[in-house]
Amino acid sequence: MTEETGKTQGLLAQAWLILLLAGLFGSSLAAVEIVLGPKIRENKRNETFGQVPRLVPGGSARKSREVVLGGIRAIRVLSEEGKHLGWVLPASGQGFADKIELLVGLDRRAGKITGLYVLDQKETPGLGDYIKDEGRFRKYFRGQPAAEPLRVVKRKPRPGSGEIKAITGATISSTSVCRIVNDAVREFRAALEKRAAGEEKE
Amino acid sequence: MAGSGPTALERFINGIIPENPVYRQLLGMCPTLAVTNGMKPALTMAGATAFVLICANVITSLIRNALKPHLRILVFTLTIATFVTIADRFLQAFMPAMSKVLGPYVPLIIVNCIIIARCEVCASKQAVGTALADALGCAIGFALGLSSIATVREILGTGCWMGMRILPEGWDNWGIMVLPPGAFLTLGLLLGLAEWFGAARKKAGRS
Amino acid sequence: MDHLVDILLIAVGAAFINNFVLHYFVGICPFIGVSRRVDQAFGMGLAVTFVVTIASFLAWVFTWFVTRPGAPVTAWVWHLFSPGSDAVLDLSILNYIIYIFVIASSVQFVEMYLKKFFPALFKAFGVYLPLITTNCAILFACLEIMKHVSGVRNPAEMWGLDQALTLAVFGGLGFALAITTMAGIREELDLCDIPEPLKGPGITLLTAGIMAMAFMGFTGVDRGLAAFLR
Repeated sequence: MTEETGKTQGLLAQAWLILLLAGLFGSSLAAVEIVLGPKIRENKRNETFGQVPRLVPGGSARKSREVVLGGIRAIRVLSEEGKHLGWVLPASGQGFADKIELLVGLDRRAGKITGLYVLDQKETPGLGDYIKDEGRFRKYFRGQPAAEPLRVVKRKPRPGSGEIKAITGATISSTSVCRIVNDAVREFRAALEKRAAGEEKE
Repeated sequence: MAGSGPTALERFINGIIPENPVYRQLLGMCPTLAVTNGMKPALTMAGATAFVLICANVITSLIRNALKPHLRILVFTLTIATFVTIADRFLQAFMPAMSKVLGPYVPLIIVNCIIIARCEVCASKQAVGTALADALGCAIGFALGLSSIATVREILGTGCWMGMRILPEGWDNWGIMVLPPGAFLTLGLLLGLAEWFGAARKKAGRS
Repeated sequence: MDHLVDILLIAVGAAFINNFVLHYFVGICPFIGVSRRVDQAFGMGLAVTFVVTIASFLAWVFTWFVTRPGAPVTAWVWHLFSPGSDAVLDLSILNYIIYIFVIASSVQFVEMYLKKFFPALFKAFGVYLPLITTNCAILFACLEIMKHVSGVRNPAEMWGLDQALTLAVFGGLGFALAITTMAGIREELDLCDIPEPLKGPGITLLTAGIMAMAFMGFTGVDRGLAAFLR
């Protein structure tokens, strides 16, 4: 009997502690959200926008804006003076191991690829994960024509020929990136043409 | 043991090697395996865990007299979850690249047995000073544990340590070391080594 | 059809390719502690699957309806207080606290259920049942769901309840597979001459390393499956 009332009293005594702690912690979390929230959102934005100057030469991370074109999210790259220089297109798809997320730089008419950046990948370390390496893989994308799909080859490709050299021992990762780029660029070019033809989309 | 338990200094020293959380108590193994493929992630994780451990221990010690047995785990959990959220947001704001590398393992600090164990064993029973010393000792011990494994995995797996090239360029990276199997194998072997040293010292102490 | 393929890929991924224990390193403590006998291990595996399913269900519900940016319940409550506002409320900072409470409650619920309907099993579990609360695997499943609900901007890509539960169930089953296999191997190892320092956790971790290597062979199965089915 005493244990029952003791238990109830104990629980009631606990309630005030939990409520006090909840209030204290809740307020500190709210404070953290207010103080750090903007910085975190800015970091997230910089993840993609920070790459703009490197993907489209002369592009400004500050001035460029995200747009939706025919249902496709893209970044309209502007220079510091506000001139439209090109596009940065986010793309993603299945790689060898898991999803690969990319950013493709395009010129104003989406006729040429100006750069490639790997946002996220989980390919094999030391093999497939060289797709994020500029010297070993990404440089082959610069200056390639966007009108035709790119192809992966094993020997050294001619610049601007639409050929990408595969990473030794990581053919599937290389072809996956190529496929993701091709699909995204093709869809984006189609959306651009539709807009140019005057059809209203969204 | 009569009295108020081990002193602050005893708690501090215990946490570093004699009762090392990784090698002796086998607690917190999830981050130990997950983030030790490089020194930088390992140290960041150790830092985040240290922050949560210290804050949780201090708060628990401050309210230890108001805690009744029934709901103490609830209180520990609430405290730990709050500080982990703060640590996670802090990392996302000021070390975004590292936050991405550590990924889901920062919130997993909430269920890191080390922190709940320390709250239960020490902080809920002893004064703030002792709890703080205990937290510091365990944090250092945890950092030592993580660093030892990260050193092995990073050097063998990439030839670098803390991003600096250690092994000559001709070294063929042991890719397996930075992948999950490497984590298990390294921890298993190092644990065996630690056991062997401990047993050898005991024998030397006896003879 | 495409949606079903998606579900299948999540299931295969969670159980084999990205196995909770052997790829994501969650659930290691019971993996080492409870894997001495096959029946114990299998029981623990199923218990974890049960708990992770309940916890993930509740986690998804709270994330979808309350904490994600633009969540319906939160928006509705906000509109009661400030009708004209079009602010998008984001309560995701409360996610971790909500998840750990959901997990603790799920374990309590399973404990009560077992105590009432399977008392022998309840006794057999002993102290290991409440320890499931600190099993990283359950919180990890909740975090994965959070990543695919709060962390995605495109509403079409957000995980619905079906995808969330698939991850939970098959992740739990993958854990059960790993722990039961380990128990089988350890039962055999009991008959072997293991060096003194490696007995117990040492040899278990080394075995886990080899198992992890074996499971790495599953890499790319989901890619192949996707190509085959689509």
